[in-house]
Amino acid sequence: MSKLKGKVAIIGIGEVPTGRFPDTAAIYHAIASAKMAIRDAGINKDEIDYVMPTAALYSPAFNTELVTCRVVEELGLKNVKKNCQVFAGGSSSTCALELAAGLIYSGAASMILFVHAERLGTGVTAQGGIDLFSTAGISAEWEVPFGQHYSAVTALSTMRYMYETGCTDEHMAAVCVSNRKWAELNPNAFFRKPLSLQEVLASKMLSTPLRAKQSNMLFDGGAAFLVTSAERAREIVEKPVYLLGEGGSVTHFVYSQEPDVSRFGWAKAGKMAFEEAGLTPADMDIAEIYDSYPIFQIIGFEELGFCKRGEAGEIFLRGETWPGGRIPCTTNGGMLSQGHTGAGGAVALMVETARQLMGKAGERQVPKARFAVETAVGGTYMDAQVSILGTEIP
Amino acid sequence: MDAPKKPVPVVNPWAKPFWDAAREERFIIQQCKDCKKYIFYPRIACPHCFSDDVQWVPASGRATVYTYTVVESNAPSAFIPDMPYVIAVVRLEEGGVQMLTNIVGCKPEEVRCDMPVEVVFETLNDDFKLPKFRPAST
Repeated sequence: MSKLKGKVAIIGIGEVPTGRFPDTAAIYHAIASAKMAIRDAGINKDEIDYVMPTAALYSPAFNTELVTCRVVEELGLKNVKKNCQVFAGGSSSTCALELAAGLIYSGAASMILFVHAERLGTGVTAQGGIDLFSTAGISAEWEVPFGQHYSAVTALSTMRYMYETGCTDEHMAAVCVSNRKWAELNPNAFFRKPLSLQEVLASKMLSTPLRAKQSNMLFDGGAAFLVTSAERAREIVEKPVYLLGEGGSVTHFVYSQEPDVSRFGWAKAGKMAFEEAGLTPADMDIAEIYDSYPIFQIIGFEELGFCKRGEAGEIFLRGETWPGGRIPCTTNGGMLSQGHTGAGGAVALMVETARQLMGKAGERQVPKARFAVETAVGGTYMDAQVSILGTEIP
Repeated sequence: MDAPKKPVPVVNPWAKPFWDAAREERFIIQQCKDCKKYIFYPRIACPHCFSDDVQWVPASGRATVYTYTVVESNAPSAFIPDMPYVIAVVRLEEGGVQMLTNIVGCKPEEVRCDMPVEVVFETLNDDFKLPKFRPAST
């Protein structure tokens, strides 16, 4: 078990809307988000001594700018010791938070800025996006030649899960509806119109049993957060969002090598995180579960222990995960409704977790939220990552 | 617009015997001489016990469908003309071994989880035949 419980906190968050902005340079999404995070915390920008940009997928040239310190220069940060990219695909934000915590706890860093920007919505065509995600993270020797891509990956997990549990298309659609209820209240979300089960179930079939409205879409966007020591955090803000526990489990690179495509490593990762925090799922006020597609939100929710296997669909269907529900889940609308921005899907979710715990979530604020679990995963659902955050240290 | 050419496997040197055999319609996998476990895809050392002593052995070609999907739209460019096509993860009779493949030789809607299947080789080009699976003959 790590020694990081309660040692660091998120003190500032920033996020630009997720959408299609053909006339906006990608760097804007990074620096506007970072500026918001700095203003949100109320720190002097020159207190930042470490910058962690995560990767942008739409353009190697832009990503090289992130690697070569453009964010530092654009913001005029004068005391940055290291600008170092942290990238683990969809789990980048969670992996970066733990790395940041270790650096701060060891004394190697004191104020870390993590930032993401992406233009997958306007920087690539629709078919280009499909083609990009028929190779990115997919084995060029063992899977690409068979026509593998992310809709198919998702469909393969959904098919086996439904076969083993008896869950239905309606259960999968219920996740989309739940996430949309939250996105209706999220000004940074792309899809904000109400969505019905019937609309989801009537949408075009992509790869059986996965339908178009059960699939995320790619967009432009950006988000950022600031991490510092718990002591410094208490000097700066009223409600630091402490890291209380973290867990992870890397299970595969090649999707077809995953021994259980309808469970993955969530149970192990969740146990690790909850044990470190000294909390249980019953203590959580919010479950910020990584979606990208309904099946992964359902699997994460169940394997973390919010209910038994096969029961999540009914819980989503009954509205227990909706605004005002018993266990609010994925309160920014997730990638299904806020939109998918590459590594940014879980950056948005991490920022949303902090936002809710800080009490800054506006119309969709979960009342008196003290503890939340946040999950993230990269590649073809290769590494279950779990963080427990809270405004108190239990 | 014509679909781009099908992607060919980017072969790792230590996996070359697999593709050479496949071109001759022989289906081989690795087995660890020390712990006896079967290995796929090919590795430079046993992923179970980390022994360097791994050998190539013939595999039965018999498997079951662990999971599958019928790709009906939004396929990668090179596969658009193939739609609808079936992608599946199959579990080989040799225990603990899974691979991604296509199910052929039946209607896509006839595929089921846990259905028995057998290997069949499909020519990709002069250099490659891909191991695919069809419903088991018996």
